[in-house]
Amino acid sequence: MDVKLIGLIYTLILFPLIGAFVIFIMPKRRSELFQPLALLLSMIPFSISLYLFSNSNSKSAYQEFDSINWISAYGIKISLGFSGMSHLLLSLTSVLVLLSFLSVTEKYSRSKGFVGSILILHSAVNGVFLSGDLLSLFIFFEAILIPMYFLMGVWGGENRRYATIKFIIYTVFGSIFIFIGTVYTGIISYSQNGTIALDFVTLSNITFTTEQSKALFLLFTFGFLVKVPLFPLHTWLPDAHVEAPTAGSILLAGVLLKVGAYGILRVSIPLFTEGFIEYRFIIAVLSVIGIIYGAVVAIAQIDIKKLIAYSSISHMGFVMLGISAGNLLSLEGAIIQMINHGITSGALFMLVGFIYDRRHTRRISDFGGLKITMPKYAAIFLFTSFASIGLPGLNGFVGEFMILMGSFSTFKLLSAVAAFGVVLAAIYMLWAYQRIFTGEIQYEENKNLKDLNTRELVSVLPLLFLMLIIGVYPTFIEGYVLNDAQMISDLVQLFSGGLN
Amino acid sequence: MNTISEIIGLNWIVIGPTLALVATALILLFCTITVETSDTTKKVVTISGIFATLFSIFLKFGLFFTDGTSSYFSEKILLDEFSLFGNVLLGLVLLFNFYPIWNSSYELKEKTTEAVILTLMSTAGFMLMVDSENFMMLFIGLEIGSISLYALAGINKGSLLSNEASLKYFLLGSLASCVLVYGISLMYVSLSITGVYETTIAISFIGAENIPLTTLIGFLLLIIGLLFKVAAAPFQSWAPDVYQGSPTGYVGFMASSAKVASFIVLARLCVVSLGFTMDKFELFFTAVIILSIFVGSLFATVQTDMKRLIAYSGVVQSGFILSGITSGVNGTSASLFYLAAYVIQLTGIFLIFSAITGELSSDFSMDNLSGLFVENKFITICFSIFMLGLAGLPLTSGFISKFILITNLWSYEKYILVFALMLSTVAGFYFYLKPIWVAAIDKPDAVVSKITLKLNDKISIGMLAGITILLGLFPNILINISRWVIQNYL
Repeated sequence: MDVKLIGLIYTLILFPLIGAFVIFIMPKRRSELFQPLALLLSMIPFSISLYLFSNSNSKSAYQEFDSINWISAYGIKISLGFSGMSHLLLSLTSVLVLLSFLSVTEKYSRSKGFVGSILILHSAVNGVFLSGDLLSLFIFFEAILIPMYFLMGVWGGENRRYATIKFIIYTVFGSIFIFIGTVYTGIISYSQNGTIALDFVTLSNITFTTEQSKALFLLFTFGFLVKVPLFPLHTWLPDAHVEAPTAGSILLAGVLLKVGAYGILRVSIPLFTEGFIEYRFIIAVLSVIGIIYGAVVAIAQIDIKKLIAYSSISHMGFVMLGISAGNLLSLEGAIIQMINHGITSGALFMLVGFIYDRRHTRRISDFGGLKITMPKYAAIFLFTSFASIGLPGLNGFVGEFMILMGSFSTFKLLSAVAAFGVVLAAIYMLWAYQRIFTGEIQYEENKNLKDLNTRELVSVLPLLFLMLIIGVYPTFIEGYVLNDAQMISDLVQLFSGGLN
Repeated sequence: MNTISEIIGLNWIVIGPTLALVATALILLFCTITVETSDTTKKVVTISGIFATLFSIFLKFGLFFTDGTSSYFSEKILLDEFSLFGNVLLGLVLLFNFYPIWNSSYELKEKTTEAVILTLMSTAGFMLMVDSENFMMLFIGLEIGSISLYALAGINKGSLLSNEASLKYFLLGSLASCVLVYGISLMYVSLSITGVYETTIAISFIGAENIPLTTLIGFLLLIIGLLFKVAAAPFQSWAPDVYQGSPTGYVGFMASSAKVASFIVLARLCVVSLGFTMDKFELFFTAVIILSIFVGSLFATVQTDMKRLIAYSGVVQSGFILSGITSGVNGTSASLFYLAAYVIQLTGIFLIFSAITGELSSDFSMDNLSGLFVENKFITICFSIFMLGLAGLPLTSGFISKFILITNLWSYEKYILVFALMLSTVAGFYFYLKPIWVAAIDKPDAVVSKITLKLNDKISIGMLAGITILLGLFPNILINISRWVIQNYL
């Protein structure tokens, strides 16, 4: 592969780190410069990821582009690789990082730690999406924890201590299974290759026995599902989302949840397909429970942020349903839905952040009639809600429709039940909209609220634009997911055909 | 009877480091009690003594590369890879911990060099212990080292906690020594075994299945004596009290040197002597390991005193190291890596503690860290690096050591141990991140005021933190060294 391209990809991982370092050595008295500087610094990964996105190579199936010897005594290498899916997620990450820098108020943007943590987080997430072997995937996966620990711990809400520790413990608990799985895979790889080769290319040529495949699938998938999160493992998510600062929530919902699903698509299914076929029904059932459960609980929420958090569980349930169905259409839908959810819930958390900055409350009952004082805000919120519900013509529809279409051929009853999730989504989003924006203004404080200013508009409108683009012209995004979905669905078909 | 020429003809280089340390200690003692000597002279003497020690370790390498593994002093002293590794590690522990001990010895009234002498003697003893081929030499080394440590724990006479720590350490430590000696004598009674290699020969001669029960019990007691020194559960009860009570500046040295020496001896016993007999002890070791990580994790989560927390975390880490040592030769190499990485982090943490509350303080409550970040950025960052290293976060040496260890354990098919160890890291993330929360995230009303680090402390702490990160990024050197140690036993 092109040397220039390899250089650019390394820049994508290393540059945010250098950026964080630059922020840390800036003098504290020039804190007004932090936000512009952070914007400038994240413009560079943003333009690189866009450049790579538009590159002819970017729609390819998985390819490894570089590997470095790391622990030579054990023959362990660090490999880097990508596919169309990684490009989509990388671009999503850089868009969300850029916009979350734009959306934060001075309270956050004037703090070195906040800006630096987001930059380090960006680097770690890019690392996850570019990693080409299990060990580096794990390392970047764990490295995400540190900036999140500080983001949530220092700038979080009232109950941040509980939420942060819960988040860390859940993630670490999940990741030890990934770690054990990595070790186990390494030992199997050692017995077949003579070195502990953990890169995806070598691993895809290793033959796992059915027992090994099942055990490894369970180990890896459990770890990743905590991060997704799937239904019984989700309890960290509402706490974390509610307590995290706005930018933290945007990145948590927009990017970090995708890390789990990405891991399943990159590791669990392609490498351990037999295990996947064995256990996919359980995952599908749990995802449908998650879809309905998340939506029902969202209806009952009195806190807007918590409502969106539970809606995330519901939406990620759709993603997992699509993945577990394992055919071309549902997998395409699942990957597209990952991107959609990143855009939509990112926008929703941003919008909640805007209103929280003005009123310092997130209780739905504290609002009412905001449409009168904040018409632009109301319009944007309604648009985003529609995208989240899955209105045809907006992005949510594309993903959910493809998932339901695809999974119907595999799990008929489950898909039928899951379709109700869309209806429930309409209930919780529109009812929340109704309570917040329509009617008379009941509280004095709401009478003098200012509508969105230019900075806030600029930070949210690109996301709305993306929702519309994906909604009306999904072919453009489908090209990036086709090869990945094709590869996985072929494997699933191969192994399930072999079993019959 | 030996003639003079025979005595001179002995290979003194083998015990060179021990001799250098003992000589330095004696010169210092002589200076202190007889003639009025200036502090500068004492300092010069001590520092040149330490460098002489390091130089004689270097000479031992030369001897090793010409002669190979061999015994000296009528098979009392052994020169092999383990002893070299142990010597280097003990030398480094002394080098990094020397300054706070020297520094604080002036605050002790009329005892200016006592602490330094004890430190040197203790290192000399432990070096003799890792060099020992004969079990009696092992015992002598252990006792020289331990008795100096008992005295070091109580060096701060005015402090009640320090006295308590010293007494507890002494009583329980001497009990452990009794057990150890009894084990050695049982082995001698049953099979006339007195040394590491004799054991190997005896076992291969009579066959692993014919070993008398008395010998096995003897071995077990010897191992228990060593496990006591590394504070593995259920022999850990002294550790928290001793760590908490002893002067903060000394705990890093006390904990590290005893652990290094005991683990190296244990590794040599398991790899060289027991080899094929290890499966007889498997149940015992598994129980000790699981108990260690369980007890350590459980108690560490509820501690509010940082020194107690580190003590219980040390119990967990001992479980980790022990799991590699007892499962095979490759596991031992992983454990040696783990040991080195752990000792570095441990030393760094105690250097930071002694910089915050002074070398002679006893308690170190977690409140002493509250709001540390506000005024002391460098200390907090280094402290976080050490804590995250102990927790095993990627990009620190802790992760690499855990990765290698778990990989080896898995290849030995010790699945239960792997799951138990990994679950303890979850608890580890809870209790290692808690002090970071207090130091860097909490916004308390009263924060720790600016601490002016002395240049030596700054260099030491910075270097240790740097090594922790560097070993996490480029672990090859230490991995190759730890594999070199065991290469002959593969």
